Amino acid sequence: MQSYWFGDIDAGTCTPFFGDPRTITDRVSTITTSTDTFVPLQWELAVQCGVCRDRAEYLSKLREICFAAAECEIRGIYAGKDAELLQMVRMLDEMDTVINLLSERATDWHQIRHPTFSRKHHKTPAHILVRNMSEKSRGALGRVANQIESLSATRTDLAKEVSGRANQVMPNTSALIGGLVAARLLSQAGGLEQLSRLPASAIQVIGARTALFAHLRSHTPSPKHGIIFQHRRVHNAPRPVRGRVARVLAGKLAIAAKIDLYRGVAAPEFIASAQEHIDAAVKGNEVKK
Amino acid sequence: MIWKGDVLVSNGEGGVYNERMLGGARVWDPYRSKLAALYYVGTGIELTAEMRVLYLGAANGTTVSHVADYTEAVYAVEFAPRPMQDLLEVARRRRMIVPIMADASRPELYAPLVESVDLLYQDVAQPDQAAIAIRNCMFLKAGGHLILMLKTRSVDVRKDPGEVFRDTLDALTAAGMPIKESTWLVPYHSDHAAIVCTKPARVR
Repeated sequence: MQSYWFGDIDAGTCTPFFGDPRTITDRVSTITTSTDTFVPLQWELAVQCGVCRDRAEYLSKLREICFAAAECEIRGIYAGKDAELLQMVRMLDEMDTVINLLSERATDWHQIRHPTFSRKHHKTPAHILVRNMSEKSRGALGRVANQIESLSATRTDLAKEVSGRANQVMPNTSALIGGLVAARLLSQAGGLEQLSRLPASAIQVIGARTALFAHLRSHTPSPKHGIIFQHRRVHNAPRPVRGRVARVLAGKLAIAAKIDLYRGVAAPEFIASAQEHIDAAVKGNEVKK
Repeated sequence: MIWKGDVLVSNGEGGVYNERMLGGARVWDPYRSKLAALYYVGTGIELTAEMRVLYLGAANGTTVSHVADYTEAVYAVEFAPRPMQDLLEVARRRRMIVPIMADASRPELYAPLVESVDLLYQDVAQPDQAAIAIRNCMFLKAGGHLILMLKTRSVDVRKDPGEVFRDTLDALTAAGMPIKESTWLVPYHSDHAAIVCTKPARVR
């Protein structure tokens, strides 16, 4: 028997299936087609089945079903808790880039107005400099600096929201590495499901793309860490054990992501034991079972 | 194929992606579409008005819209939700496009929807491009054609593109799809190759 979207064909007789696009889609998703015995459908069969009168009607019916199915599927994916977090964290990182670029440009402009100004040996952070400019500079520069400041404020708020949302969407991963870095891992992987499918070794080097491909292509040393370097336990770890901390942390993150996907709530006993393992790695010894 | 002077065009409603128009026809830019590039650098397969096409990796529907201008029906398969939104919008205005949201590497899931086709066009950024093409050949009529756009960098970045190209040709030939034409798409797309096969009559 061959099953098609409009019905079943068995030994030349057709059992048509009628219904609205939704029920037809549901039926199509239950059909299991064996690729060995599959016979590609001939649209004329649908006419014999009495599902449609001609080619135009065949295509228009089929299109209706495919549109409904695709729209339903897209809606389902976007309704996932991780979909918006993904956009939020990407926006955040983009804002960082933009704010840095604008600040640098504004500083260059400021230097022209103040020929004796130099940032050398002055440890003024960029945002303080921007604030000074917005308060003291006349005309367009002052207004631009003002805008950069308000953009930075928006950025800070967004960062808080990202981290709060990450704690909800991926409580275990966030507990191990912090909401912000967890969200960045999610963004690089493309979603919670994708992140949970990654092996620990991939999670360890997510975000170290250049170094990884240089390693694969020309056998430079392999990267020890990517985004997870942003976590204090990795970048504060003493150099000799940093790679080890990154590896142990990545291993625990791979498990955490799976718990986040399938359980969706924090697992305190897992988090405690994972923290213990990671702390042990920082100290230079690993927990033996 | 329709050429105006040395510019490839297709006849249809314009404004899909701000494409240039030339004497009322839509200019099909070889730098934006790999299929257009194939017609510029090689022969390809002549698209005709009665053709039915299975298009894997439809993305935002840019190339799909041009293919649909030439053919009778296009089954456009795309997996990712964001480009699918665009594809649906393109398909709303072109009644010969059937948009299917599915994973091209699992043809058994959309088999109940797709009829047998004259042309299988594949442009997916997956490591197992040859295997995906071979699996989807079950929809192809005897004497039908396969056009495979090979993204060598998606197959294996460590390998030399030439080696990936040769391996793919071997894999297709071994699967009973003799090679009709194979060409690199320079200068339009680097590290991309086009492979054209014809399904022999009475196989399997």
